[in-house]
Amino acid sequence: MTAIETEPASPTAEVVLEARDLVKDFAGRRRGLRRERMRAVDQVSLQLRRGEVTALVGQSGSGKSTVGRLLAQLLPPTSGQILLHGTPVAATSGRAFIRYTGAVQMTLQDPFASLNPVHRVDHVLGRALAIHGRARGRDQVHEQSLALLEKVELTPPERYLHRFPHELSGGERQRISFARALAAQPQVLLADEPVSMLDVTIRKEMLDLLDSLRRSENLAVLYITHDLGSARAYSSRTLVMYHGVVVERGSSAAVIDDPQHEYTRRLLAAAPNPRRRLAG
Amino acid sequence: MKYLLRKVALYAFIAWSAITLNFLIPRLMPGDPVTLLVERMEGRIEPEAMAAIAESYGITDDPLHVQYWTYLGNLFQGDLGLSIGFHPTPVAEIVMGALPWTLGLVGITTIISFVIGTGLGVVLAWRRGSWSDHALPTLTFLNAVPYFWMALILVLVFSVNLGVFPVAGAYDVNIDRAWSWEFVSSVLYYGTLPAITIVIASFAGWVLNMRNMTVTVLGEDFVTLAEAKGLPKRMVLVNYAARNAILPSVTGFALALGAVVGGSMLTEVIFNYPGVGYTLFQAVQNHDFPLMQGLFLIISLAVIVANLLADIVYIFLDPRTRAEA
Amino acid sequence: MRLRSWLPTSGKVLAGLVIVVVFALVAIVGPMVAQYGPRASGPEVLAPPSAAHWFGTTQTGQDVFAQFVYGARVSLAVGVFAGVVSQVVSIVVGVIGGYFRGLVDDGMYILTAVFLVMPGMPLLIVLTGYLPSRGMISVAVVIAITSWAGSARVLRAQTMSLRRRDFVEAARATGESRVRIIVSEIMPNALPLIASGFLFSVITGILSEAGLSFLGLGSLTSTSWGTMLYFAQNAQAFLIGAWWWFVPPGLAIAIIGAGLALINFGIDEYANPRLRTGKSRAKSAPAPLAAATAEEPHSPVPDQEPQIRPGGSQADPVIEVAGLTVDYDTAEGRVHAVKDVSLTVRRGELLGLAGESGSGKSTLTNTITRLLRPPAEVTGGSVTYHRRGTGAQQEPVDLLHLPADELRRFRWTELSIVFQSAMNALNPVMRISAQFDDVLRVHRPQMRPAARLELARTMLTRVGIDPERVSAYPHELSGGMKQRVAIAIALVCDPDVIVMDEPTTALDLLVQREVLDQVMALQEEFGFAIIFTTHDLSLLLEVSDTIAVMQQGRLVEYGAAMDVYTDPRHPYTQTLLRSLSDLGALV
Repeated sequence: MTAIETEPASPTAEVVLEARDLVKDFAGRRRGLRRERMRAVDQVSLQLRRGEVTALVGQSGSGKSTVGRLLAQLLPPTSGQILLHGTPVAATSGRAFIRYTGAVQMTLQDPFASLNPVHRVDHVLGRALAIHGRARGRDQVHEQSLALLEKVELTPPERYLHRFPHELSGGERQRISFARALAAQPQVLLADEPVSMLDVTIRKEMLDLLDSLRRSENLAVLYITHDLGSARAYSSRTLVMYHGVVVERGSSAAVIDDPQHEYTRRLLAAAPNPRRRLAG
Repeated sequence: MKYLLRKVALYAFIAWSAITLNFLIPRLMPGDPVTLLVERMEGRIEPEAMAAIAESYGITDDPLHVQYWTYLGNLFQGDLGLSIGFHPTPVAEIVMGALPWTLGLVGITTIISFVIGTGLGVVLAWRRGSWSDHALPTLTFLNAVPYFWMALILVLVFSVNLGVFPVAGAYDVNIDRAWSWEFVSSVLYYGTLPAITIVIASFAGWVLNMRNMTVTVLGEDFVTLAEAKGLPKRMVLVNYAARNAILPSVTGFALALGAVVGGSMLTEVIFNYPGVGYTLFQAVQNHDFPLMQGLFLIISLAVIVANLLADIVYIFLDPRTRAEA
Repeated sequence: MRLRSWLPTSGKVLAGLVIVVVFALVAIVGPMVAQYGPRASGPEVLAPPSAAHWFGTTQTGQDVFAQFVYGARVSLAVGVFAGVVSQVVSIVVGVIGGYFRGLVDDGMYILTAVFLVMPGMPLLIVLTGYLPSRGMISVAVVIAITSWAGSARVLRAQTMSLRRRDFVEAARATGESRVRIIVSEIMPNALPLIASGFLFSVITGILSEAGLSFLGLGSLTSTSWGTMLYFAQNAQAFLIGAWWWFVPPGLAIAIIGAGLALINFGIDEYANPRLRTGKSRAKSAPAPLAAATAEEPHSPVPDQEPQIRPGGSQADPVIEVAGLTVDYDTAEGRVHAVKDVSLTVRRGELLGLAGESGSGKSTLTNTITRLLRPPAEVTGGSVTYHRRGTGAQQEPVDLLHLPADELRRFRWTELSIVFQSAMNALNPVMRISAQFDDVLRVHRPQMRPAARLELARTMLTRVGIDPERVSAYPHELSGGMKQRVAIAIALVCDPDVIVMDEPTTALDLLVQREVLDQVMALQEEFGFAIIFTTHDLSLLLEVSDTIAVMQQGRLVEYGAAMDVYTDPRHPYTQTLLRSLSDLGALV
């Protein structure tokens, strides 16, 4: 199935990461002797460009998070290709995987669960720096860690270095997750529902931070979300997923202001909006 | 049903493992059991008889797999070899004579202590934060008391000092073994103290488990909702909290039953109670290896069957296991 | 002072530690101070305890105290050694099986099941029966072989749940290797279980050694508590009343076992805070507050006056909250979770209660529903329910001081609740019909069973569910259907007020819309009032008649929904609306 191409965004920036016809099947229920296959992702293609936020919108079970995990090489695809700078890469383990994570990093949805409760912030950042060889020796690690904390606007950074996750608020934890991802000095950041667990006032700060990081680090960002509104506000291009298939894609403004696909329309109609009452 | 089939397959495998382990132990343990026997029985038995015993024991010079097939074949005919201690009584006969005593004693006491224990556990959970929390250290102590020591103390107090119960045995030997009221009441009378021992030593474990689980379940939303529904406390406690909290107790049955069986065996020794525990003890004392193994096998199989029964009960208790159609 | 902070807070753990330390000292120091050797015979035979022989003597004139302290050494050593070996085996089997899954795990799982089901003691007896020489070390190894399975199973389950946790996935995404993930991410979190498994295997080890030695299967050349009991039993000590011979070793086993188990209690309580009792329970901050203390520092403090305007309904009040203050006692002192809140809910209206995490909105609804749990405590104010009387008359009911039996009658017939997550709000082991039935049996005792079932089916139809599903179990329904069932159950006694605590948060956008439409239609039909809490302000603005905004325990703005939306007066409400609009939610 091909998606409705609503209004192509002008392709200017260089493509960093590309997915071609990604398919992911999961083992489902056993039926007699055969196991049913569940197709979570079906023929998904997308391109992430330098300095650009691409939104991947879908409800739970749409396969959007699985796409994120495939792009991060946390899961091997059933078929299809992932291309980094035009070169196909398949590296879900070993040295090749570490090299890949040096370029492509991922952050997860739940800030309360994505940091190990037993490790302090300095350990988390120190490990990330060490894995990718971005800092050597204790002093350099310390210095780099402070720099990372400043990048994610946790100031003064010294205050946060020796804290445990439970001593941080949800927003602060999500910032630590971003800092950990940035430690690798990646070119691509896959952000899986970075704000859905946070309070509204914090959400805005978080997305503003993501946007400023995109600009300062020249990152290609995949913003995975269930929320069309924030996709419209923070991404230049939007893809809408439904049952593992991308049903609509195009510039965010076009997709959300003038949706072509039935599903996108239904989603927009279902979103709570007080204006509806003002209108009538 | 699939759940049940999977469980049956697993237990069949475990039973096969027990049977095979039983075959392998005497052959793989350091030292050859026949020489071990000769060493230990030195002077007590004629060398010719010794050789005959070794052969009846199934340890021959044949390759291992031939021995294994012979062993399995004999097993399926109910032939467990001949006892050394009670030569020439077949092991199977002794085992079958001992089994009913243990099944009766352990079966009844396990049910009693499970019922008392889980009931008390629910009550303690409901009343947590009050005086009832002080019962916990006592229960912990009881849970750690060795069965056989508890038996010794009870014998000292009730049999030796107070003379209320007999010191040993399973029934009055002066009464004919028949289905008469006289005999049955004598069995009950003699069984009381061993049963009390096992109940006291085992019920605390159920209490502690059930209390912890119930306390955890009491924090669940559906229990809060039951309270908000205005249901009477007893209904909330039984239908909502206890009904869910008991599930892990049933799955944890295997672990608990193993401990109870082990403890009851030692209790039988104290009371000279003619079940498998006491018989196993005698077998060990007489270096009666065939009998030891026969008993081990029958105990293992009994425990496996008990576990299977627990899993069947679980299917009735938890609708989620019935889900896979 | 320094030392105090190191001591465990739980009395049980402290008692356990004291017991274990005392026995460790006995085992280490005892043999040095004992005046006799453990096997040395003296002239005094079967002497009761005296100054010369503290614990009396045996049949052969050996000093029981000397045997006891030497025995402590052997028994504890066997226990600890068996504990270490069995814990190492269970970590290897449990953690590796749980992390790698697949064939490796299947194999390990079956192996564990075999050793778990096979009764330990008989296996132990048979194995030791074949041991050519029975040193205490080989006895300890055999004990370990028969006792590792239980904790391996627990560890496997824990590892399986940990490896699905986000922080493991995040560590992998960072590029961390598998070995490091197991050692540095998973193991530290399994540590309480490993510790508790170790203590449990030590108990098992001590008990097994005692049992084996008691049967004469231990190492009879060394003195342990078990061999003491063996010789006492052989000498018929309990028939001749020599209690001093066999009471000390057995009592010691029970006490040290209890000591280790008490420490285990502490570990369990640490891992599962719900189990805490007494002091240690009060010290753990309740969840809403824990969130509040770590809350974002940026939000403006509500120093401005609350902005109160008329609500969106002119009907009679059904619930009136006046000057309500709710406090929590925490380790850091008293905290106001709700502070001086006054608001009115009117008949048939939808009151939207908005607020971010830690705003106190759950504490407020829990007070109204009388589901507040200690250490939360109402320290001021009142909640009044206006019961429908005959005609236009209303009878005020003081909800906070309602006696238990009246409260039970009030519940569900006049006020019912729908929780956030219906997956947890329905009893998993009861059919849907039974969860309707128990309410009706209690509140409508005159109803016949057939009528009760019929009503349940009718209610399901009302919320758009096939009435045949009345005999389903909760796990057979989808998330949206469960939430509808929860709403149907809330409606069954025709209450005046329904408290809906984030009823649609766990649902998908499309399902949320369907459920909301259903709720609005039902409200139209039945005329109940709804107190609707959610953090989603745009949703509230759309569906509410009246909106109440809470921040840090205070009510900061109250008024008709459209007034609040078009003209927010409190700076906090203004911030919220601005954030929403920046996030594209109000476009």
